[in-house]
Amino acid sequence: MKKETILPESRDTAFRDLIIRTPGGENIPTCMQCGICAGSCPVSHEMDYTPRQLVRMIQLGLKKDVLNSNTIWICTTCFSCSVRCPRGIHPTELMETLKPIAVAEGIKNKNAKFDNVFSEVIKKNGRASEFLLISKYSLSEPGMIKQAPFGLSLFSKGKLPLSIDKMENMGELDTIFKLGEKEEEKAETKKNVEGKEPIEKEKGNAEPEAEK
Amino acid sequence: MPENEPTPKKIGVYLCRCGGNISDVVDLQAVAESLKEENVIVNIQDYLCSSAGQEKIKNDIEKGKVDRVVIGSCSPKLHLETFRSMAKKAGLNPNLLEITNIREQASWVHDKESKEGVNSKARGLIKGAVARISSIEALVPLEKKLVDRTLVVGGGIAGITTALELADGHEVILIEKQPYLGGHMIGLSKTFPTLDCSQCILTPKMVAVHNHPGITMFTQTEVAEVNGSPGDYSINLRHSPRYVDIEKCISCGACARKCPSGAIFLPFAQAVPQAYMIDMSKCKNCGACVKVCPRDAITLDAKETTSSVSAGAVTVATGFESIDPSFIEEYNYPAPNLLTAVEFEEMLSAKSKTGMRLQKADGTFPNRVAFVLCAGSRDFTGRGKKHCSKVCCIYSQKQAQLVKKMKEDAEAWIFYIDMRSAGRRFEEFYHHTQEKGVNYVRGKVAEIIPQKDGTHMVQYEDTNLGMKGREIFDMVVLCPALVPSRGTKELADKLGVPTGDDGFIEEKHVKLDPVNTLNQSVFAAGCVLGPKDIHDSVTEGISAAHKVSQFLGKGVILIPPEKPMILECNGCGDCVKACPYNALALEGGKAVLSPLACTGCGICVPVCPIKGIEIRNFTRNQLKAQLKAILGEGSGVIVFIDPYAYAAADIAGVNRRQYSSLIRFVSVPSIHILDADVINAAFEYGASGVMLIEGTTDEKLTSLSDELYKKLKKETRKHKKPLRYSHIETAQYEKLTDLLNVFAAQAGAKAGKRSRKEQANDKDPAGEQG
Repeated sequence: MKKETILPESRDTAFRDLIIRTPGGENIPTCMQCGICAGSCPVSHEMDYTPRQLVRMIQLGLKKDVLNSNTIWICTTCFSCSVRCPRGIHPTELMETLKPIAVAEGIKNKNAKFDNVFSEVIKKNGRASEFLLISKYSLSEPGMIKQAPFGLSLFSKGKLPLSIDKMENMGELDTIFKLGEKEEEKAETKKNVEGKEPIEKEKGNAEPEAEK
Repeated sequence: MPENEPTPKKIGVYLCRCGGNISDVVDLQAVAESLKEENVIVNIQDYLCSSAGQEKIKNDIEKGKVDRVVIGSCSPKLHLETFRSMAKKAGLNPNLLEITNIREQASWVHDKESKEGVNSKARGLIKGAVARISSIEALVPLEKKLVDRTLVVGGGIAGITTALELADGHEVILIEKQPYLGGHMIGLSKTFPTLDCSQCILTPKMVAVHNHPGITMFTQTEVAEVNGSPGDYSINLRHSPRYVDIEKCISCGACARKCPSGAIFLPFAQAVPQAYMIDMSKCKNCGACVKVCPRDAITLDAKETTSSVSAGAVTVATGFESIDPSFIEEYNYPAPNLLTAVEFEEMLSAKSKTGMRLQKADGTFPNRVAFVLCAGSRDFTGRGKKHCSKVCCIYSQKQAQLVKKMKEDAEAWIFYIDMRSAGRRFEEFYHHTQEKGVNYVRGKVAEIIPQKDGTHMVQYEDTNLGMKGREIFDMVVLCPALVPSRGTKELADKLGVPTGDDGFIEEKHVKLDPVNTLNQSVFAAGCVLGPKDIHDSVTEGISAAHKVSQFLGKGVILIPPEKPMILECNGCGDCVKACPYNALALEGGKAVLSPLACTGCGICVPVCPIKGIEIRNFTRNQLKAQLKAILGEGSGVIVFIDPYAYAAADIAGVNRRQYSSLIRFVSVPSIHILDADVINAAFEYGASGVMLIEGTTDEKLTSLSDELYKKLKKETRKHKKPLRYSHIETAQYEKLTDLLNVFAAQAGAKAGKRSRKEQANDKDPAGEQG
């Protein structure tokens, strides 16, 4: 991605404040840019911005660059960064905060496809099936054909079972998804501030847990 | 004997805006208004502590307008002495001037509360202070003779400096835990920024300590117990056995040559005292050394001994230790060729076991060395330490220079987060190290993976480039967080000196009183006050010596006059039995107090079955009058607090930790002076809850606190209002504010419930007070 000059108009303080206010984001202002997150990350070399740089960009409110970066989609949620960060920042959780915002903003990223396929499979079966996941993802991502020999070797070793495991009582899962959608719609209609709705949803989830 | 003066008291109330620090939150005008009917003089100033502010009070005293003074300002810990010495100059008994803290305990901690909440608190506190000052006696501090002798704990560079600076004028006892003097400094190689060798500058000082007639030195010695009181301590020392008599040993080395197991040795060539010692874990008890010693200096069955010394002052110079970095899992410490900076240093120092050669585990020179800064420091997650250890940036560069000096084509890499080289000659040192070709990488090392061949793979992000990197090194040196040495907390507790949440000893004032502690007869110097370099440790050693000398030079110590007075006595002896300091005795069937032994803890007050004992200026009636006035300005939670916990509340204020404005502190010398009489009065005057907060670490008192709490709880039960006891040390200001908030909410909820109930019972819709 072409890097731009940071100008006052590229800084969105409302976006910054929103992320910092999200549970898990409160320590972002204390980042000292030590880079232990990026050094620990097994995939940071694939990212256009390392987790450290992403945190810095949030401190500045560079909303466009943050949401367009592939970093949030490449994160494997291994949590090494979160465990080691000396300032108590949780980059892993941060990625989870940013993903729905990017989606709501209509930002397309080829790395987001896998996430979509994954949630589709879960929605339908209640469980992940390696076979379904890989075949569906390969259909939407032509480049995957190159991986076919690897897939075959996995299959021959029994690592890619064809059986599709389905959860019992799928109805319960449907109810959960429907409730979630309803909440999303509600938030959509209430939407005043740009990009606010995914956060509202998160808060709704967090509060009852805190009461326990 | 002070009598109650018949003439009405002329009270002056002086309120300080503190340049907005107070007046931006507290409506001082409203406080002044509320005092209209109190028949007092009220005056508001921008800065009371300024010469103009002090002059105003002084004038009023000198002109006879006032003869008792209440000051509403910052914490008394800051300026009570300032104002009292002014009062003394103006001809007023200094004890007739008191400070009410409306900055650390009001404006700085309630700026998110409702204005009325803060104002009713401020009005209450000031009115309480007026009620108190009008009832107190004009007491004069007691004088006690000082013991002109100092105990210096710790024989590192700070302790050595303090001892040498003091010894020409005062007697000094220097104790050291290790078998030799020199502390960490003797384990250093070259010292930054001049690169002169550590032993060259330290050994002469160690010898001077040993030879000085005014210094008695004990090695392998620790403080076991502290008895007595400030200015007159009796301190029990515990001496571990060395098995070799220091006085007799001439370090001829005959014993070591005979020893079959290498158990007897000289710690290192320049060690002071110059005497051999035995490592009993290696000794086979064969007695060969005993037979060969020409001076009969060896006793194999020597036991731990104790001795007692008296001292008027104590200087704590117990230094630091480096944190064990094995808790940082991703660094895989310990492993061969993965050392701490202290271990690296020792290899090149007087204490070297490699003949001052830098070498790997296999004996060869490391061609690629990495220095990893901030190992376990600057960490706010609770895993490591929050503070910066200050010296690592510079010493790691020095070590890198040494590597390059020993082998020009060797590589030295320094992994840093921020290169901190503030201070004279340090930026130049940084520049010079860069010139030497040391490679600096800005990035905290993420992982150190030991390889099979004894090298280490270091993984990091070069944050200047935003690129991940991996390098293989022959040797990796961790620069771990520096923390107070083991036992600092225990020693501080014995001396009644608070430590901070980082474990270091708290200074009396962070900036203005850096080597005094909150105990007037205890001083501190060096790394026990925080990580620092040799220069700063020496500076503090000299400062501490000056402060000790100033303190001992007075010859007497002033003791607070707030002691028990025995008004009535039936000779039952309960108070004599209860006193933990043996300050009470029965003479002719009556209890008699020896005021100099008394600490004013007040345990005798509630135990007297006929309520015949009161603490001067903290009598039941005086406390009740104060409570009535405080609560007359609106209900709140009364928090009785002792001076140690009071210091925690001050730190909370300085850190702007917000808590409920319902909290009203009432300062008492100790919570043990309280009985159900006073607590019940607080409830009757409208307190929604009462807390007892104790900060002292004196076990003679804290061991009795639970019992006191249970007794008070039982005897105040009829009010059905919450009462709580908590132990909060000075460092625990965060815990304190959390506790205050929880309790204030509890008390508020309970009060709400009660008032609703009462309303329902009375069917009176107008009632709103809880």
